[in-house]
Amino acid sequence: MGQGKSQFTEEELQDYQDLTYFTKKEVLYAHQKFKALAPEKVGHNKNAKLPMNKILQYPELRVNPFGDRICRIFSSSHDGDCTFEDFLDMMSVFSDTAPKAVKAEHAFRIFDFDGDDMLGVSDLRQVVDRLTGQQRLSEQDMQHLIQNILDEADLDDDGALSFAEFEHIISKSSDFANAFRIRL
Amino acid sequence: MSGGDRKKRTSRGQGWEEAGAEFYQESYPADVDLDVLQRDPSHLATLLPSKQSRAATAKRVRGEVKPTLRRRTSTRSRYHSTSRRASTTADVHVAMLPDLSENLSNEERTWEEIMQIKAMPVSMAQKKELKAKLQSATKLRLQGFEQFKWQRRKFWQQVKSRWKETYTKLELWRTSLKKIEGNFGIGVVAYFLFIKWLMFLNLTIFVFIFTFIILPTILLDTPATTCSSNSSNITNECQYSCENITEKNHDVILDTIQGTGWMENTLVFYGFYADKIFGVGSDAAFYYNLPLAYIAVAVVYFLVSLGAIVKAAARGFKERLVEGEGQFYQYCNLIFGGWDYCIHNEKAAVIKHKALYNEIKGCLEAERLEEERQSRSKEEKTKLVITRCIVNLIVIVVLAAGGFLIFETLEYSKQQLDGLKGEDTQIDSLNVLLFEYLPSIAIVGLNLLVPSLFAYLVTLEHYSPIFVVRITLLRTVLLRLASLVVLLQSFYHRIFVDLSLPCWETYVGQQLYKLVILDFVTHIAVTFLINFPRMLIAKHSKSKVAKYIGEQEFDLPKHVLDVVYTQTLCWLGSFYAPILPAMGTLECFFLFYIKKFACLVNSTPSSTVYRASRSNSLFMAVLLFSFLLAVIPVAYSLAESIPSKCCGPFTAQNTAWGIVVFTFNQFPTWIQSIIYFFSTAGFAVPAFITLSLCLYYFYAISAANKQMVQVLKNQLVLEGHDKQFLLNRLSAFIKQQQQEHQKAMRQMEMSSVAGMSNGS
Repeated sequence: MGQGKSQFTEEELQDYQDLTYFTKKEVLYAHQKFKALAPEKVGHNKNAKLPMNKILQYPELRVNPFGDRICRIFSSSHDGDCTFEDFLDMMSVFSDTAPKAVKAEHAFRIFDFDGDDMLGVSDLRQVVDRLTGQQRLSEQDMQHLIQNILDEADLDDDGALSFAEFEHIISKSSDFANAFRIRL
Repeated sequence: MSGGDRKKRTSRGQGWEEAGAEFYQESYPADVDLDVLQRDPSHLATLLPSKQSRAATAKRVRGEVKPTLRRRTSTRSRYHSTSRRASTTADVHVAMLPDLSENLSNEERTWEEIMQIKAMPVSMAQKKELKAKLQSATKLRLQGFEQFKWQRRKFWQQVKSRWKETYTKLELWRTSLKKIEGNFGIGVVAYFLFIKWLMFLNLTIFVFIFTFIILPTILLDTPATTCSSNSSNITNECQYSCENITEKNHDVILDTIQGTGWMENTLVFYGFYADKIFGVGSDAAFYYNLPLAYIAVAVVYFLVSLGAIVKAAARGFKERLVEGEGQFYQYCNLIFGGWDYCIHNEKAAVIKHKALYNEIKGCLEAERLEEERQSRSKEEKTKLVITRCIVNLIVIVVLAAGGFLIFETLEYSKQQLDGLKGEDTQIDSLNVLLFEYLPSIAIVGLNLLVPSLFAYLVTLEHYSPIFVVRITLLRTVLLRLASLVVLLQSFYHRIFVDLSLPCWETYVGQQLYKLVILDFVTHIAVTFLINFPRMLIAKHSKSKVAKYIGEQEFDLPKHVLDVVYTQTLCWLGSFYAPILPAMGTLECFFLFYIKKFACLVNSTPSSTVYRASRSNSLFMAVLLFSFLLAVIPVAYSLAESIPSKCCGPFTAQNTAWGIVVFTFNQFPTWIQSIIYFFSTAGFAVPAFITLSLCLYYFYAISAANKQMVQVLKNQLVLEGHDKQFLLNRLSAFIKQQQQEHQKAMRQMEMSSVAGMSNGS
């Protein structure tokens, strides 16, 4: 902790506390975790940019089927490489205190693989494929599943989920906020 | 950027510009969009306001980030006007800052805005910049009371964050929970949180009992309450019991396990507490009515338990209601909320993948089954109905047989004990222990064996997976509670028919005390002596049989039952053995570690997906059921049965509740008459009618709301179709315009070429 403290000024910590869902102590703790990913680099420069494969060493992200997507979404350079600030942003969104709406927004971006601001059929396919991992659904099942999802959520019948529709589902799902969470 | 400017830049597609650009220009000024649009008119749909996420808008205009900050808490129109007009001059942050010319912001607002930056999906550097801008902007200082109010708000915020910090540090089992979460997901963690919740509930109950019953007794009671001093004014029967207790001088350890001997007359059991009003001070200026406190505390802790359960259940119920409104987003939940982001163990991740795959398959399968069921032939249907009837019959028979077995062992052990008492030799102390514990052993044995039988039977019935969990749980609950009912029945028989017990409350307390201890020992034994070796066998042996014997999943319903059963015993017994809640607290504490071991070491993650919300409401439902089962006999014994005449705080009363009636009669007359009025028909009937009317009113409102939701949903679908239609028309129109434009251009080119060639 002592080392971590010396790397940040009080002002920076105040900034981080105001701009994330963390307290100062948690910010320092997050920095420890970040440092553990690449001790030398971060020890040298507290806000060092770590390549995506280093960030993916973080246990929760390593096994997460959307790990690379998460890195990309939170990376300020959009290539998956994250600085400490990006990492802090990420952890802040995944923290317990972040409201559902904020989580929903990021989840939408994570699931939106092609970046067209809609969760289209191809996006949903990728989501399902990543969720099931090694096992693959048969083509027929996949089509059936996606049809079911669209039947449930696609209120305007345009064959894709917009953010508003996605937010609507999330607001009704009590499990989402619980599941979309990583304890520091 | 003005419209004219744009026209100059985009020379193509003039028609389109005139037709619709004005609107888009206002809200979505990026040139990129228009270019894309002209290449692919169907892209139009993505430009609709309803399709925008804040993040998306921020991303779309990359490089010049323009988050249209949608204020959730404080919508102030000036933000709309500025952010809508967001110009493409590189620094768009200005748009989000308060428009200083219009309205000077005050400190509190600025502070509020800074607090809201964290909700924006932009990078930290941008957030910092925003914060700096907001801070450096000129703002009004708040005056007087306003200033005070703001300072107070800020102060509270700080206190809250401090509290949060210390709380997270103090939080019990934080790392354990994280570990379980990482390996088993949130559904199983909900179970461990449930154990924790029960522990705190028991602790609260114990604190009540300790402060109002145990502490006064220790402080105020003189040690003269033992039977010898009292025996002068009580009946012979009692004297016998007192002598009996002192005579029996057994092994200390055995007595501790059985709650007999030296233990019988301690703070642990009901019999120790005296029917006395303690005077405090020199001339007894204050007095403490122990019997009244005893019964009041019992009422209070039952009410507290009920309140806690209802509160916890209501939270789950509310969530379920919101989910269930209209339609349940089963598949969406599964896909978008399916992954537990907290999982950090590779093996667990693989299993989670598998579980999700199975769940998806299962859902699709269930749908197919549903269709199939509709088309099921009559013959199959009758066959299934018959199987189910038979299975249910078997279940009932098994339950009845279990009850009978417990009853018989109780009788048998009683006979044997009576026989042994006559001989009274040293060697028999172990036999006594065996027979004392025989009924409890029978109960535990049944609880271990019969659930597996039920689990097998349920597979024959072809229910849907969710229903299988529920019905198995229901049957097992019935089994456990049936055994308790038989036990209570035998108590009843012994107490009120045989009348052989001098101090029956202490006897009941002893029996429940034994059950709690045995229950705890069983948990330890099953976890460490049976399941742990099983796991070792499965791990180190390759044969299929060993794998079949050894491998175990973390079967949530079963473990839930274990805890609920303990809690039921605790509720049942805490009136007769006031120390029981303390034991319950300790047991929950150790149970956490035992179950953690069972979960992390012994078992593999279950192949069924346990949803946190669903399992939580399930826990509470089971707990509520067993709570009612515990309250009814206790309430009956309080209100109807005659307390023992020679021990306990109610020797002078005909029923324990009598003390309350007695105290009530000493109230001032006006309070008595008011309360009496509440119990008359003159109050009850109008109250009943009013309540029924209220109920009907709310029912009607909810029905109307449900219909309204349906109507609005239909309308939404219609609007969606309309929009689709208009968009298609619009894009067709644009295409047409483009084609015409191109044609015109081509003609112009042709003519100019022709002209040139002519000229040359």
